[in-house]
Amino acid sequence: MRLLTPALLAAAVLLSACGTTESTSSEPSASGDAGGAITLTDARGKTVELKAPAKKVVSLEWAETEMVLTLGVTPVGAADPEGYATWNAAEALPGDVKDVGKRGEPSVDAIVALEPDLVLMPLARDTAVAEQLEKAVPVVMTKSSDATKNFDRLREDFTLIAKAVGKEAEAKTALAEMDAKLAEGKKAVEAKGATGTPFVMADGWMQGSTVSIRPFGKGSLVSDTAEAVGLVNAWTGEVDAEWGLGATDVEGMTAITDPKTIMVYSASEEDVFTTGLKDNAVWQRLPFTASGKITKLEKGTWTFGGPKSVAVIADQFVKAATS
Amino acid sequence: MLRTAAVVAGAVAAIVLLSAVHLTQGTSDTGALDLLSAVLGDGNAQAMAVLEGSRLPRLLTALLVGVALGVAGAGMQSIARNPLASPDTLAVNSGAHLAVVSFAAFGIGLPAYAAGGAAFVGGLAATALVLALSGGASTSPRLVLVGSAVGLTLYSATTLVLLLFEQETTGLYAWGSGSLSVGDLRTTSQMAPVVLVGVVGLVLMSRSLDVLALGDDNAAVVGLKVRRTRLGAVLLTVALTAAAVTAAGPVGFVGLSAPVITRLLAARVPGLARHRALLPVSGLVGVLVVLGADVLLRALLGASEAVRVPTGVMTTVLGASVLVWLARGQRSGGSRRQPPSGRVGVVGSRRRLVAVSVVLAALVVAAPLVGLLMGDRVVLLGDLGNWVTGRTGPALTFVLDQRLPRVLAAVVAGAALAVAGCGVQSVSRNPLAEPGLLGITAGAGLGAIGLITLVPGAGPWQIAGAAGFGALVAFALVYGLSWRGGQDSDRLVIIGIALWSAGMSLITLLVATTDPWNTVKALTWLSGSTYGRTLEQVLPPALALAAIGPLLWFAHRDLDLHSLDDDTPRVLGVPVERSRLLLLLGSGVLAASAVAAIGVVGFVGLVAPHLARSLVGGRNARVLPVAAGLGAVLVSLADTIGRTVISPAQIPAGLVISLVGTPYFVLVLWRSRERRT
Repeated sequence: MRLLTPALLAAAVLLSACGTTESTSSEPSASGDAGGAITLTDARGKTVELKAPAKKVVSLEWAETEMVLTLGVTPVGAADPEGYATWNAAEALPGDVKDVGKRGEPSVDAIVALEPDLVLMPLARDTAVAEQLEKAVPVVMTKSSDATKNFDRLREDFTLIAKAVGKEAEAKTALAEMDAKLAEGKKAVEAKGATGTPFVMADGWMQGSTVSIRPFGKGSLVSDTAEAVGLVNAWTGEVDAEWGLGATDVEGMTAITDPKTIMVYSASEEDVFTTGLKDNAVWQRLPFTASGKITKLEKGTWTFGGPKSVAVIADQFVKAATS
Repeated sequence: MLRTAAVVAGAVAAIVLLSAVHLTQGTSDTGALDLLSAVLGDGNAQAMAVLEGSRLPRLLTALLVGVALGVAGAGMQSIARNPLASPDTLAVNSGAHLAVVSFAAFGIGLPAYAAGGAAFVGGLAATALVLALSGGASTSPRLVLVGSAVGLTLYSATTLVLLLFEQETTGLYAWGSGSLSVGDLRTTSQMAPVVLVGVVGLVLMSRSLDVLALGDDNAAVVGLKVRRTRLGAVLLTVALTAAAVTAAGPVGFVGLSAPVITRLLAARVPGLARHRALLPVSGLVGVLVVLGADVLLRALLGASEAVRVPTGVMTTVLGASVLVWLARGQRSGGSRRQPPSGRVGVVGSRRRLVAVSVVLAALVVAAPLVGLLMGDRVVLLGDLGNWVTGRTGPALTFVLDQRLPRVLAAVVAGAALAVAGCGVQSVSRNPLAEPGLLGITAGAGLGAIGLITLVPGAGPWQIAGAAGFGALVAFALVYGLSWRGGQDSDRLVIIGIALWSAGMSLITLLVATTDPWNTVKALTWLSGSTYGRTLEQVLPPALALAAIGPLLWFAHRDLDLHSLDDDTPRVLGVPVERSRLLLLLGSGVLAASAVAAIGVVGFVGLVAPHLARSLVGGRNARVLPVAAGLGAVLVSLADTIGRTVISPAQIPAGLVISLVGTPYFVLVLWRSRERRT
């Protein structure tokens, strides 16, 4: 039995590589050992069997939606596609992808009505739904974030999805492109002598005068990305184990003292930092305010995305550190 | 006079002391000595900046919010002549909150004055609605009843906005419970004049408010323009509340607890009973509650960790504890007894009973049937037939298979909550009573979500067990704390409300500290949802209903007697305390099992018994089954609507209930207003 999984995987890899013809519809159900059958172990540690590489995919979280698109597969359905379009511009989602509801409580009816052959969902969401869905559709869960090893996690998630949709070659290419982008960024930073520049990354909200600041600590995907191009995360406050996110107020930012520190932030409607805190005495004394080294991430930079989002983030960090 | 002065001096001294401690707390390592030497002018610019940019704004905002809410609450209680009136219970807070959140969700950033204006209009609209629906500012408990109902509706609408605009409103979640993490003094200083005008205005009206306390007729005899006085006072209190909401969000429970504390103090310090003293002292006590909560929060969690927890969570817990403590010290019968309400005479002709039964029976069958048909994918009756006989295709089979548990969960939980509500209302003899009031729903929710957080992947029986345990603990607390040589229903209600709010706050606290970026989870849990239910999860409430429902029905005579007064059952030989405890326990288990299945659904336990009584009269032999049917229909319909109207997105069933059920309930109250005084 132990040998069966690797054997099947090997077969899957071989077959998916040459299985580009359209005759899949008659292929799968014929017999158990039909060409292209895939067995994979998802983030839950659960073994999921697919009769063939999935063609009709429904994705229940934006990072997974982005990853599927990067692999060259257009999902048949996605959770909150409208929100995706607003918040993640790394990969464009075609307008005709079906909306299957909000990410928190996606509609099981809508998902099943699409008759997908794979549902992708993050581990963090409700597992009860996965068990329900599995009665009709194979469900593959991704880890979606892990503050102890977010880059490895991203590779694992991406490769897992690639396996499920039979696009492992594309996954390799995309990861290689991401690595190349990071290496190139690292070189550019080096060339400017900016290696080791401390950075702080945060997003935040403002309601009236009430300010919440969410620093991206060590282990967040953004932090891993920035450190990969040679920068050093200056935020050492407490963060959560999954996303690597902290919480603080403007006073807490005084932990940042190095005058070389650059600040990168994302903000949606209200610009908490450069507008909202402009007149704040603590803010004005922060090193990056004094030096003016503050960069706002472009609209649609999703800080919890896939390889494409990482490239987008890397670009902006490199620019921020070298300008 | 002297004693009043002593109270004021004591409060001011406590505020000064707390302020000093408050200033030393913060997320930077700027300590008390740094601040002191900076103020004395040693040129430590960094400490000065921290003081100016963070510590002082937070302190001053806390002071402003405390004064505003304390005075507003005292004013409202006087206007309504009701010790439970407050910005929370008269829906002012929730009206103001909804207005501000709606603007934020649609991406409209407002300057403070405009946001304050929106909050004022929202709060005023909510108050106007409450006052109009309760038949003018009457002293009847109906005012608070309507206020709580409207407040719940508005809160649900707010939650809906937060759920639908998750990404846009992430930051609003903490603010929604009241946050003091202010980055500057802009809003606070803009709201300060409003608060000043409100406080001074109300204090100037002190004499009129004193007279108003004598009752409308007496006041009119003395020559007071009752309507004008009341209108003026309402406007001022709403302005105060709106200012506080604009500055820090709806900081819970300050407006309720501060004046109650002051009034309870007045039992020992008679001078405090006059509004000239009552209003300002309530303001000071409000400050103490807010400041104390903030200091305590940061002392317990450490300043960095405390950033995650909204201050309002702590004011609610603190205010609630003080309220419990004082309510325990208060002598029984201190506040006016509230007559049983919601029984519109004994309209119980046999014909009517039969008609109601037939219609209800039809609805009980139809509602879940419609629930099975409707949803994101609409199914036809023929399909249903095929499904029952096992002839549907795989996709349809699946859709119906997963829809069935949700429909059943809604029906069963609705019936269980309604029956529990009947029990609680009869025994506590309070129209506001519902399982939530005994701490049961909050306790169950806390138990369930605590287990989910600590043990990921806990099974339905474990969750039901944890919910039951939480409910029992909460109930034991409420019952035990309100027991003082006997049970007093007023005390039970005050302590129940206190623990209810504290429990809900602790749920927020639990989610905020363990899973801080998963606000959707908290919001859906706090509003009740049938999402992702399995048949196994429906079993606990179904069994509870099957076992306890009949028992309660057999005890209908006891329930009838309990709802009269304390003496009648005793005279007739009912062991009052034991019977009361058993009935409440039964109701508690029912409610807890329902909460374990569909989350914290409020209001069914309140609305269904009321409706049942208005339909078939007050006798519990009839009320219990009718209420059960109504509860089942109500939650089932709410669930169906929630799954259908904005599909593929969904609205949690609990939200729909308060959005749809509450206005109806208020309508019933409104239409019955002439028949009763």
